[in-house]
Amino acid sequence: MPPINFNDIEVLLPLIILVIWACLLLLVDLFIPKKHKWLTALLAAFGLALTLGFTLSQLGSESNGFCATGKPSICMVVLDGFSVLVNALLLLTGLLGVALAYGYLKRMGIERGEYYTLMLFSISGMMLMAQASDLIIVFLALELLSLPLYVLSAFARSNSDSQEAGLKYFLLGAFSSGFILYGIALVYGATGSTSLSQIFEIASVGTSSLLLTIGAALILVGLGFKVAAVPFHMWTPDVYQGAPTPVTAFMTAGAKIAGFAALLRVFGSAFPNLSEDITPILWALSAATMIVGNLLAIAQTNIKRMLAYSSIAHTGYILMAFVPYGNPEVAPVSIAAGLFYLFAYTITNFGAWGVVIALEQKESKGLQISDYAGLRRKYPVLAGAMTVFMFSLIGFPPTLGMVGKFYLFRAVLSGGYTGLAIIGVVTSLVSAFYYLRVVVNMYMFAGEPKTDNEFWLRFTIAGAALVTVVFSLVPQGLFAWASRAVLKLF
Amino acid sequence: MIPLSWYLILSAALFSIGLFGVMARRNAIAILLGIELMFNAVNINLVAFWRYLDPTIMNGQVFAIIVFAVAAAEVAVGLALVISVYRNRKTVVVDDLDLLKW
Amino acid sequence: MEFFLQPLTLVTFFPLLGVLLLFFLPSDKKNLLRWTAMGFTLGTLGISLWVLELFNAPNPHLQLVAKYDWITVAGWNIQYHMGVDGLSILLLLLTTFLTPISIFSTWTAVEERVKEFMIFFLMLEIGMVGVFLAQDLFLFYVFWEFTLIPMYFLIGIWGGPRRIYAAIKFFLYTMAGSGLMLLALLGPGIEGKTFSLPDLISSGGIPTNTQFWLFLAFTAAFAIKVPMWPLHSWLPDAHVEAPTAGSVILAGVLLKMGTYGFLRFNIPLFPQAAVDLAPWMALFATIGILYGAALAFAQSDVKKLVAYSSVSHLGFVILGLFALNPEGISGAILQMFNHGISTGALFLLVGMIYEQTHTREIKVYGGLWKITPVFGTVMLIVALSSMGLPGLNGFIGEFTILLGAFGSTAINNPWYAGLSALGIIMAAIYILTMFQNMFLGPEGSIVEELKKRGHVLRDLNRREIIIMIPMLIFIFWVGLYPKPFFDLIGPTVDNLVAALQTTTLALP
Repeated sequence: MPPINFNDIEVLLPLIILVIWACLLLLVDLFIPKKHKWLTALLAAFGLALTLGFTLSQLGSESNGFCATGKPSICMVVLDGFSVLVNALLLLTGLLGVALAYGYLKRMGIERGEYYTLMLFSISGMMLMAQASDLIIVFLALELLSLPLYVLSAFARSNSDSQEAGLKYFLLGAFSSGFILYGIALVYGATGSTSLSQIFEIASVGTSSLLLTIGAALILVGLGFKVAAVPFHMWTPDVYQGAPTPVTAFMTAGAKIAGFAALLRVFGSAFPNLSEDITPILWALSAATMIVGNLLAIAQTNIKRMLAYSSIAHTGYILMAFVPYGNPEVAPVSIAAGLFYLFAYTITNFGAWGVVIALEQKESKGLQISDYAGLRRKYPVLAGAMTVFMFSLIGFPPTLGMVGKFYLFRAVLSGGYTGLAIIGVVTSLVSAFYYLRVVVNMYMFAGEPKTDNEFWLRFTIAGAALVTVVFSLVPQGLFAWASRAVLKLF
Repeated sequence: MIPLSWYLILSAALFSIGLFGVMARRNAIAILLGIELMFNAVNINLVAFWRYLDPTIMNGQVFAIIVFAVAAAEVAVGLALVISVYRNRKTVVVDDLDLLKW
Repeated sequence: MEFFLQPLTLVTFFPLLGVLLLFFLPSDKKNLLRWTAMGFTLGTLGISLWVLELFNAPNPHLQLVAKYDWITVAGWNIQYHMGVDGLSILLLLLTTFLTPISIFSTWTAVEERVKEFMIFFLMLEIGMVGVFLAQDLFLFYVFWEFTLIPMYFLIGIWGGPRRIYAAIKFFLYTMAGSGLMLLALLGPGIEGKTFSLPDLISSGGIPTNTQFWLFLAFTAAFAIKVPMWPLHSWLPDAHVEAPTAGSVILAGVLLKMGTYGFLRFNIPLFPQAAVDLAPWMALFATIGILYGAALAFAQSDVKKLVAYSSVSHLGFVILGLFALNPEGISGAILQMFNHGISTGALFLLVGMIYEQTHTREIKVYGGLWKITPVFGTVMLIVALSSMGLPGLNGFIGEFTILLGAFGSTAINNPWYAGLSALGIIMAAIYILTMFQNMFLGPEGSIVEELKKRGHVLRDLNRREIIIMIPMLIFIFWVGLYPKPFFDLIGPTVDNLVAALQTTTLALP
């Protein structure tokens, strides 16, 4: 047995802290009386914040961990600018997730401490995904992030919708894992290695093998399921609608970030040589996702379902950033744009879901778009925030969504994919139609919406709205961070 | 010695059977069985590749063991979900789970 | 601090202070809210007059430039770049002038949700002023899109019965155009590594083929906004449903953003494409002039009539712009200003009578002259200005435009100017018919009906007269002594045309 290498520990330090914290929290929660579950939420948030601190302290450091003996290039995990940025984003997602969940769980009568623990475990899986440099780790991370999410989706035990959502999510999630696994096996067979850097080296000497291409395509299918790209999106509306709303909010952001991190890691570092075959597929996936997501969203009357389709549509926009992944001149800009868009989407999305949570009543009441009528009159701040989020999702200034789209379209255009950019613009136009319907309801119709006054929820919504506007005016720092983060990947 | 391709064909066949099971069966437990079949088809692949490519590098075998463990965890979660749904709805046939538009 | 004290920054963002202040005022103190908004828009007008004072007319280049790095990382080169020159100074003044007038006109028209109304109006002013001053493509796009949001709410909340339909139609139409513009402005931005308009123009050299496509994409955005035939169908809906103040700003300023866009971006940035496509633009402009006039004649709703007359009048502006000679372009700029004044005044007057009668059907009116002589007189002057009577402002603009179009080598077809002149005659017909039906002849049914309800039709009150006086001053001033206006425009336009001649092949 080789001695413990402290460098390895250092690479995974935030992750290790988070996992230990989650395990301890699971135990501690047993001794927290039912009336005081706020303590669990607080402890979970504290753990996330602590981990975030450690993650940010890793800014700028680069290293590999758990390498093969004598072969420092073959490693299991990696720490680089990309992983730090994605981890920070994921932890932010977690913090927002806790803030949204706390009041909701109490209001719906499903407050139990495991919720927070499961969320921490899921985030640790997502973080591992961002740091993986070996297909085995990719798979392990995928399962680690998915299993708690299945349980979380079904967290409202007495609610049939939630149960149904959990089962559906589980069945399709496991199904897609099967594809990823089969793809990984084929890639392993074609190259004799599971290390991403090894695969790249072997694939770049030999002629392109059919086995490798099929393997890569199967992995793409599996990840397509995870990020909800059309045509692998069927589960998304059902699951997002049925799951408890804070879980949905967490899934739309967290699972998406992790899925894209995996996509980038696997395809960006192992399969750049296959880009000739993969890029057209990505192009088609992205176009189909934007079109189908936006068109189906129009018909929705339930806001959770509408936002679910909107989340599918946004997957399409982010996928645009991955289309030129094999072109080393464009890819860094494009991936940086994708990362920035992920950030913009995360903030906006959490804000919008926050408003949904604020208006949701027991037994899935208050979830129709028509329930938003008159919101402006009774809760002008809430309505104002929702308006900011809707305009950000459309991509209107002055919001993060607009800056994100601008960045994204620029990257796509400089890659020469004018057609894709035009599809993006046209589908944004379509999306304006259904996002505006929410605004119309809030401002132009009369109604009597109800919400409870929950401090952390209000705080999150207001904060998200503020960040959405302010950071759109001073995006410089985020741009710089995003483009620095992807520098070493290509 | 049996050539590698035989194993690959066996594995592909098993994977397809599993896939068919997932697609065609309506009972959640049967779908779960199909998924398990898919996972195990992959295991055959992994072990066969390990044996035929370079037996000194243990990646394939280790991976297969990890897949066992993960599959077990997944079944645990999955069956729990199935039971929970059954308690609520008295059915595990996915066609009957239609509260949400499927 | 230096950043905020730049005159152009100040004139753009001064209303923002008003927005912030309004947020904290109680929403039931309606007059306080109104006066606050009024104060801030008058303040903006004051600052814009200061800008005019600082503006050095003979200098054809950008003046009072405020230029700061905004986003300059990761291959981006976006600047906060504001500037004013002869192309934009009149429009800047028009905007800051029409906004307080519109707000003043809402004193009794808007009774509900006054606070929000004022906030949206001030936000709108920020966007409009920004559009006319921005010299960076990205900055321009931000302001351009931003104007949509408050206007959408103004139509959707305070509009007529079909307001939501009209608001969404307005929003989607405009957004469709600006989406294509977004892609197009990324084009030169990527190739030139900068989004600064003067830099892009001076570096020049966009291949002719690319120019062609980029020109079309920008045209999509601007043509919808103007609106040019056949993309005008949102305009009547928006105008009819919008509240009076919204209509005034929509016709007075927002439509000018489209024509201004052609002038600021399409012509200098894609000179070759502009020259090559000038005959087509002239063709569409001419169709728009005739079509708008014909439809205006057929309207029974007076607001719709004015809306279609806008389509016709803005056709003149486009025709003048794409004459691509100094007469045509300066005429077009002056006509933008004129149209803002005349059509704005028409909408105000229509709004004033609508406030009393709650109907816009022409046929229910009649014989108003006897009952409301002041109103009738003002209406007559404004109507005559709108149809281009010599001595009033409309004539100067249209005449200069026709002069330019007639001798234009870019259009190279005097028929367009000839047919467009027909548009002026048609304007005389529909405007005078409208005037005759409403103000002359026997008393209309509405007078009786109002009497039954115990309501006597009153003439303009003091507030309404105060609103109309500055409009009338401009109508006569431009009509009788347009030289100061041409002096403001002239040097920049000459410079623009000279640049066109050096960068294009076709123009002799």
